[in-house]
Amino acid sequence: MSDYLTYLSNITVPMLNGMVITLSIFAVTIVCSIPLGFLFTLMVRSKVKPIKAFANGYIYVLRGTPLLLQLMFVYFGLPLLPFFGQFLIFGRFTAACIAFGLNYSAYFAEIFRGGLLAIDKGQYEAAKVLGLTKFQTMLRVVVPQMIRVCLPAISNETITLVKDTALVTVIGVAEILHYAKTAVNRDGDTFAFLVAALLYLMINFVLTMIFKRLEKKYEF
Amino acid sequence: MEIIKVNKLNKSFGDNHVLNNITFSVNKGDVMAIIGSSGSGKSTLLRCLIDLEKADSGDIFMEGMPLIQGGVYPSNQEIRAIIIKMGMVFQHFNLFPHLTVRQNLELAPKVVKKEELIQMNQRSEAYLNKVGLFDRIDAMPSTLSGGEKQRVAIARALMMNPDILLFDEPTSALDPELTGEVLAVMKDLANERMTMVVVTHEMSFAREVANKVVFMDSGKILEAGPPEKIFINPKEPRTREFLSSILRNESQSEKEKKRYRLKRYE
Repeated sequence: MSDYLTYLSNITVPMLNGMVITLSIFAVTIVCSIPLGFLFTLMVRSKVKPIKAFANGYIYVLRGTPLLLQLMFVYFGLPLLPFFGQFLIFGRFTAACIAFGLNYSAYFAEIFRGGLLAIDKGQYEAAKVLGLTKFQTMLRVVVPQMIRVCLPAISNETITLVKDTALVTVIGVAEILHYAKTAVNRDGDTFAFLVAALLYLMINFVLTMIFKRLEKKYEF
Repeated sequence: MEIIKVNKLNKSFGDNHVLNNITFSVNKGDVMAIIGSSGSGKSTLLRCLIDLEKADSGDIFMEGMPLIQGGVYPSNQEIRAIIIKMGMVFQHFNLFPHLTVRQNLELAPKVVKKEELIQMNQRSEAYLNKVGLFDRIDAMPSTLSGGEKQRVAIARALMMNPDILLFDEPTSALDPELTGEVLAVMKDLANERMTMVVVTHEMSFAREVANKVVFMDSGKILEAGPPEKIFINPKEPRTREFLSSILRNESQSEKEKKRYRLKRYE
């Protein structure tokens, strides 16, 4: 029995270190990609043609190619670019955050765009006749309603993000699954995969609870 | 004193000439009813007055300040300064669904006028009292009936102390049983000499409350005058036709209502 516990702690402790990396990538991605995504939403709705075209192209490319490929492109590909390449050499962790931040911002941009479409034209008109500026209308009227509409989709995307972090092993970032694979290969025992699954489930349980709370808070 | 003066206003949507050389004025204390069949341009006209639609040519003056002059609009800032003096009540209420009734009333005074909290609270309470909804002050709009929503929307418009209130078919989205409570509030406002322009299908309201009635047809003002003149002695055949069809419909819907009630209690 005690042997069993020793083995469990032997494989779990490194995986918990991996979990810190997983959570770090997760946190950095959320903090960067949500505001960036909203910015792209606004750019897509811009009346200035080049801005709109740029944002649409950005979303098309980042949603249209595999995240795995984007990770490798940022880490291995960018330094090879002529002229700029020498300024685009990133550490593994930074490269992972950049790829994830950019990729998820494209998805969030589309989620927010859908949320804005759901808001009735009458809301903008009511705000206008009451004298609110465009910025005040966005901040006080549109965004709070948009968040409520988007929350289920954001929750879904966030949970996908937790699982997607497993992709970073491809550029050698040591997260949960990296340590699990190491243990499985070393010991010839797939038990470590089960532990990894439980760790992901734990993270997503907490996230699910947080989003349920948020949905309740934004209910009207 | 002239609050609004409209001169030779024109607007088209593509080939559709929705406003054709519209000219009229609204004096302080006037209650003007705009009537006409749907598609006659009456809602578009009202929306042009508060810059929710852009006209193509003509003038609109609000208390002497041009909202559009010779087909040219001033800067956005000047436009905002003009429309801030007007209030508008919509057919579909357009309350902010994420805010309570009180927050709906206080949002614009807070962020636009930076009004002091205590004074603002007192005013919102007073206006809700006036429309008979003080007890719903902390309710969310989704819990209100249509008539209650529209009364909140009127109170919200009053919070900005407008010199004129525009109503775009304020009772058209309501169940017939609920129109009365909204019309009663509007009647009170008229009695307090609030200047109002009302696009409406409620002929009895136009007849009793308005002092000016404008009949629109295919983008033109066909006939305008005091209600006695329009309702009792209309000059244009088109006006007569419209009024008789409306009256026929009204009596029919009365009958339907009665039949519905009988059915319910069977």
